[in-house]
Amino acid sequence: MNGSHPLVIIGGGPAGITAAIEAARAGLNPTLIDEASALGGQVYRHLPEEFQVEDAEALGHDFARGNRLRQEFFDVAGRVEVVSNTAVLGVWPNGDLLWSRDNSSGVLEAERLIIASGAYDRPVPFPGWTLPGVMAAGGVQTILKTMRVRPGRRALVAGTGPLILSVAARLHHAGVEIACVLEAGNPPWRDGVFPNEWPHVEFIDDMRGHLDYLRRANIAIRTNHTVLEAHGPDEVDGASIGAVDPQTWRPLKDSFERIDVDLIVIGFGFVPNTELTELAGCRHHYAPELGGWVPARTPFMETSIPGIFAAGDGAGIGGVFVAMEEGRLAGITAAEQAGAIAPDEAERRRRGPLERLGEFAEMRAVLAEVSQIRPGLLDLATAGTLVCRCEEVALSDVQTALDQGARDLQAVKLITRLGMGPCQGRNCAPHVGMHLCHATGRTHEQVGRINPRPPLKPVTFGALAAMEGVSETSAVDPLDAVGGGAS
Amino acid sequence: MTRTPDVVVVGGGVIGCAVAYYVAKRGLKVTLIDQPKRGRATSASAGGLWPLGESVGLGCGVIYYKAMAGMGALPDGVHGPGQLPRSFLDFAIRSNAMFPKLSEELRETSGMDIELERTSLLFLMYDEGDETFAKPLWERCPCGKDLTEWLTPEELAKAEPAVTREVRGALRFNGDDQVNPYRLADAFRAAARNLGATVLTHTEVTGIRVESGQVKGVETAAASIPCNLVVNAAGAWAPEIGGMVGIAIPVRPVRGQILGTETLPKILTACLSTTDCYLAQKGHGEIIIGSTTEEVGFDVGVKPAAMKTLSAGAIRAMPFLKNVRLKRVWSGLRPGSPDELPILGPVTGLNGYLNACGHFRTGILNAPLTGLLIAEMASGDQPSFPVEPFLLARFASGADERQMVTTG
Repeated sequence: MNGSHPLVIIGGGPAGITAAIEAARAGLNPTLIDEASALGGQVYRHLPEEFQVEDAEALGHDFARGNRLRQEFFDVAGRVEVVSNTAVLGVWPNGDLLWSRDNSSGVLEAERLIIASGAYDRPVPFPGWTLPGVMAAGGVQTILKTMRVRPGRRALVAGTGPLILSVAARLHHAGVEIACVLEAGNPPWRDGVFPNEWPHVEFIDDMRGHLDYLRRANIAIRTNHTVLEAHGPDEVDGASIGAVDPQTWRPLKDSFERIDVDLIVIGFGFVPNTELTELAGCRHHYAPELGGWVPARTPFMETSIPGIFAAGDGAGIGGVFVAMEEGRLAGITAAEQAGAIAPDEAERRRRGPLERLGEFAEMRAVLAEVSQIRPGLLDLATAGTLVCRCEEVALSDVQTALDQGARDLQAVKLITRLGMGPCQGRNCAPHVGMHLCHATGRTHEQVGRINPRPPLKPVTFGALAAMEGVSETSAVDPLDAVGGGAS
Repeated sequence: MTRTPDVVVVGGGVIGCAVAYYVAKRGLKVTLIDQPKRGRATSASAGGLWPLGESVGLGCGVIYYKAMAGMGALPDGVHGPGQLPRSFLDFAIRSNAMFPKLSEELRETSGMDIELERTSLLFLMYDEGDETFAKPLWERCPCGKDLTEWLTPEELAKAEPAVTREVRGALRFNGDDQVNPYRLADAFRAAARNLGATVLTHTEVTGIRVESGQVKGVETAAASIPCNLVVNAAGAWAPEIGGMVGIAIPVRPVRGQILGTETLPKILTACLSTTDCYLAQKGHGEIIIGSTTEEVGFDVGVKPAAMKTLSAGAIRAMPFLKNVRLKRVWSGLRPGSPDELPILGPVTGLNGYLNACGHFRTGILNAPLTGLLIAEMASGDQPSFPVEPFLLARFASGADERQMVTTG
């Protein structure tokens, strides 16, 4: 799969799949690269082949919708080159893409690129958050959906936004006792009331369903509350919970209670995976309502680099329904640019997705307003709390770096090693970036980011040494010439 | 007390930090101005202190030579990696000798450990050509034969079990060691601050004020800082600063791409130099693998081809790396001078200006002596080591001390 490709789509989640569907419908033959063995991404993650589904209903809406999307995809699958089990290690502004699979790697040239890299759980450090038994909401969903494993017996679910409702309901449905659900904000839907002007979309039905489920199960949702600390010698055996200031979400640590749980699920929303768009050289800006740093895009999802598109949660958190429409727009427009369809036909095809995105706009604004993380949560971490798990950097180390004059993430990194580990700062940069803004009064733009570097995913030296599609820089050993002859 | 001059050091890489430290140590009032830029060479250094190896063309020299030869791009008459002149070797050996005491000083003044490690440098000889190249270095090492050691394959296997057995032997340079380059710069900066230096980070120098041939101050976006002496330690960006006072500095960015492994248990004692790459395991457990030598302007990107070539070279030297994961590849811009020697000291016709730039691949190694000499000159003393071979003026006369040019 080396050489030139008319359109390469990175990511086999909802945005990547719809992008591939539209591009293929337009007559282009896209290449769809995905890390997993089967398409679906995180939300529509496929069950392992070893699993046999007997009661599809019990697997929930996402399973059914995932199958629906896959069905739509299968109709055009003949025109899509699907490359599974393959990681993208890096992309370059000229469209070069470095991939790896098992013990091989290679470079391919993409004439056009759609980056649909998805999002990851927002890390929010608090004392004890690295104990086994503290899990991210997205990760818990994955365990439930794909492994059908119960991750604990008695759980505390804390965070903000619709996700904590869904994960609490799913956990309970899987047989986990829910001690309580803590919502740091105070959203209007806590009582099951939704603004009249919101469109009638499946997303609202889902939330209503989860709320009804929790009410029937007698699971209380406590608003303006959150987790303060995870307790346990080696793994979680309890949690301290307490109220937060309704405006800033600063924990009011004067009163708290301790509950016995063996699982703490944290869901403070998601952070877009922007490493690929950053490596590609796309312009980014900080948009808290979209989850943080996101690439600047045209209404048709093209980034600041012509021919490179970004769609779905990886370009700004909007959820699966938004991701699918963005993917369609990117796929149609890439096909138009490639000359596969005429501009007026492309415009006609974009009309539906644009209209549906418009319907979501107001709802997205309200969701962002009520569930976007607020700076008071920074106070959860204490001096000894680890903020960089890879390199075991504590908040006090960050403070030391600040005292030494560090004013941005890069400077903190060089002093403390924060972000130098395998995760490349994914788990520390969002939080420590906010912390630096707060501590220095500087903007996110000034505090900057931790520059991603290839390889974005683990890869062995052996795989890289076997790289296809590039030539080594030298073939002969010139020191042979020193002695006048080869050995 | 006589009036001490105020010194402004432009550039917060290892050289600028070293200069600030030694100037502050002499009791002068000093301000370090730093505008962090992507591609700073200090951040892409392996931290090798290889005065012998570097001066005989090992480290990056031999890798670059091989690459050039592979492309058929060697100048006529060049048959091996170039040796740097005696003046460079003497400078580097003197600077290297400062590290043990400096390490203690910095620990005391900054509280930081620069992770100085006695490693030695091993040149792995894969074939007859390598052997033929190494033999004269061993027999006629400019520093004396007592610092070098010829290892048979058996001796090498015993000393470094993780290194390939597919070798004809190795040449060891004792006295070529390593530090943690970031720590060194940090410790210099922190120690300087503790000695009274002012450090302005994220501050761009916008101009230098000169009156009647005398430097009077440095302009930044935020303020005007009066001074009697400015030190140009801006690395690959030194020409910009020189340009502010009408001085053309022949320094250009020379990109080096570098690979770091995941954290590993201690598996490598010495630093390794081969015709493909060099390898050094750092205190934290990563093995750093370098490096390319490319003239691509200020482009700080990394390239798949370099990842492939350096990976293959690393596996050849240490076969177990085949199954080890690469953590990161990144790059830095070496401040390359035409003859690979640093550019130090005053320039004619301008008072209150000193160069401390052009350190190319050996900024970490040569930071201590550079800092010391600049501090001596800043306080009006005779430098304790001759700076004449390193003056900018050497380029004006067209004199090139290099016997062979390998970069160019």
